[in-house]
Amino acid sequence: MHQFIFTGRQKSVLLGFMVLGLLCMGLTWAVDDPFHTRFWTNLLHNTVFFTGIAFIALFVYSAWMTAYAGWHTVVKRIFEGFSLYMVVGLVLMLIIAGGTWFHYHHLYHWAAEGIADPTSDHYDRILAGKSSFLNKSWYTFGSVGFLAVWTFFAFRIRSMSIAEDNAGTADYAHHQKLKRIVAIFLPIAAFTSAAAIWQWVMSIDAHWYSTMFAWYATASWFIAMMSLTILTVIFLKGKGYLEEVTGEHLHDLGKWLFAISIFWTYLWFSQFMLIWYANVGEETVYFQIRRDDYPVLFYGNLIINFVLPFLILMRNSTKRKYGTLVFMSVLLLFGHWVDFFLMIKPGALHTALEAMEHMGTAVGDAAAAHDHGHALAGDHGGHGAHHAIPPGFKMPGLLEIGTFLGFLASFLYFSLNQFTKASLISKNDPYLAESLHHHT
Amino acid sequence: MADKHSEVLFGLYDDEVDLLDAVKQANADHLEIMDVLTPFPVHGLDPLLGLEESRLHIAGFIYGALGTMTAFGFMTWVFTRDWPIIFGGKPYWSVPAFIPITFELTVLFCAIGITVTFYTICGLAPGKTPDILDDRITDDKFCLAFKTNGQSSEQISKLKNFFSRTGASEVHNKVI
Repeated sequence: MHQFIFTGRQKSVLLGFMVLGLLCMGLTWAVDDPFHTRFWTNLLHNTVFFTGIAFIALFVYSAWMTAYAGWHTVVKRIFEGFSLYMVVGLVLMLIIAGGTWFHYHHLYHWAAEGIADPTSDHYDRILAGKSSFLNKSWYTFGSVGFLAVWTFFAFRIRSMSIAEDNAGTADYAHHQKLKRIVAIFLPIAAFTSAAAIWQWVMSIDAHWYSTMFAWYATASWFIAMMSLTILTVIFLKGKGYLEEVTGEHLHDLGKWLFAISIFWTYLWFSQFMLIWYANVGEETVYFQIRRDDYPVLFYGNLIINFVLPFLILMRNSTKRKYGTLVFMSVLLLFGHWVDFFLMIKPGALHTALEAMEHMGTAVGDAAAAHDHGHALAGDHGGHGAHHAIPPGFKMPGLLEIGTFLGFLASFLYFSLNQFTKASLISKNDPYLAESLHHHT
Repeated sequence: MADKHSEVLFGLYDDEVDLLDAVKQANADHLEIMDVLTPFPVHGLDPLLGLEESRLHIAGFIYGALGTMTAFGFMTWVFTRDWPIIFGGKPYWSVPAFIPITFELTVLFCAIGITVTFYTICGLAPGKTPDILDDRITDDKFCLAFKTNGQSSEQISKLKNFFSRTGASEVHNKVI
C-alpha cells in the first residue's frame, strides 16, 4: 500500500490530544504569574522544539541528497511531511516575535525598553553592547524572515518531489533540479539556523553566550527528529504501509539515533569544558544555575540522552528490533524535549523574576498566584539559593506535559495529513532501486 | 587456523552473484563447504553459510571499558595521591579535564585490543606467512573451497562436476 489513508479514528485521537494541549495552555495562563511567564515559556519551548524538528528534517533531507545518499529514499516522504510543519512554526513565531513589540511577555531581558539607553534605569551595559543583534527588529526578521525562507524551500522541494512522482522522466531532470535547490538551501540553512537559535533560545540567558550553542541545540533537534521518524515509520509499518522499509533501513535510522546522541554529548560536554578550562568564570553562570537549582534535570539529561542510548543502542540487534527502537525513540524524543526545557526555563524565570522586582510587583503576590498551580503541577518545592522556583519551571509539570502532547498531536496530524497527498514511496526517484535493495 | 596439510579443492568465480548462487546450490546438494574467500564483504553470504554474529565487538567493549578505567583511575591516582598539582586554581580531582584523555584511551585500548584479538583468531602475526589458496582472492576472484582429505575420487569428481555446473571459471587443487 503506497497511498496513506488518514482514518477518522486517527484524526479524532489526534484532535483530542490537541484539545488537551489547548486546555493545558489555557489552564497555564489561568494559574500563571502576572507576566504569564509559564505560559510563554511553554509556548516558546514547544514552538522551537517542533519547528526545529521540521527544519532539521528538511536539512538532513537536503544534506543526504547532496551527498548522493540513496538508502533513505523509501522513507524520504516522511521527512518531506515533517518539514512542512514549519508553516505552523512560522505563525507561532510571529506571535512570539510580536510579543516582544507589544510586551505580551518578558521572555527576553534584551527586549526591555531602554536597555541600550544610558539614561534609562533599565540600562544594561553588556546588553547595550549586544544590542546591534539582540533587538526586536532583528528578532522579528530572524524569526519570521528566516522561517519564511525555510518554509519556502520546504514547499518548493515538496512540490518538486511530487512532480517527479507524476511526471518523472528517464533523464531524471526533476532530480537534477531538486539537487540544485537543496544545494542552495544548505548553506542558507546552516547560517540562518544558527542565528535563529541564538535569538530564540540562547538570548534568553542574554548575558551569556557560547559558540557551541547552535550546534548543541541543532543536535538536539536532530535526535528528536530521528526519534519521531523511527516512531512514524514503525507506526506506518504497523498499519501495513511502507512494506519496502526493512530492518536494514531501521538499522540505519537507529545508527543515526546512536551517532547523533554521541555527537550531542560531545557538544554538551565541550560547551562547558571550554569555558571551564579557559577560566572564563563569568560564563559559568549558565551551568551553575542549572547544576545547583535543577540538579535532577541537569544530570538526568545526561543519563537519558547519553548513557542510555550509548549502552542500549551500541549493540547491533537493538537497532533492528522494534521494541528497543520504539523504547529508545520515545525516551530520546522526551529527553531532548527536556533538554530544551532546561535551555529555556531557568533563564526565562530569572528574567521574569528580575523584571517583577524591578517593576515593583511584589514577588510575594506572584508566589501566591503560583500556589493555585501547586498541586496541579506536581512541583517538588525546591528552594534555590535565591528564591523558590515556581511550579512548571523546576520540573516539567502536568501542564507542560499536556502542552507537549498537544503540540506533538498537531505535528503528527499535520504530517499524516501531508502523507495522504502523495504516495508514501516516491516513484521516480533515481535512488529508489538502491534504497529497495539496501543492505547494511 | 586450518589443520596441517589440508587437501583443498577450490573453485574461483568471477562474480559475487555466481558465488552466492554456488553457495545456495552447495547447500541444496548438502556439500560441506570448508570456507568462502572474497576480496570484499559480500552481502547475504553470512546467513547462507550459517555464520553466527561475530563476538569480536563484545571483546571490543571490554577493552574499551578497561581503557576507560585505566585512564580515569590512573589520573585520579596521580592527581589526588601521587603528585597533586593545582592547575589554574582548580581542584586536584578535576573530572572535566580527565574526560578527553579517558575518551582517547578508551578508543586506543579498544582499537589495539580488537586488532590483536582479530589477528590471533585468524592466526596472523608479524613474520608469519599465511596459507593463501590463490593470490587473486584479494583482488577480483571469489573462492569457494572444499576439504578433500580422505575423499574418494568419485566424491572429488562430484565436487568438480559441481564447480562446472555452477560456473566456476577455474578449479584448482592445493595442499595447505
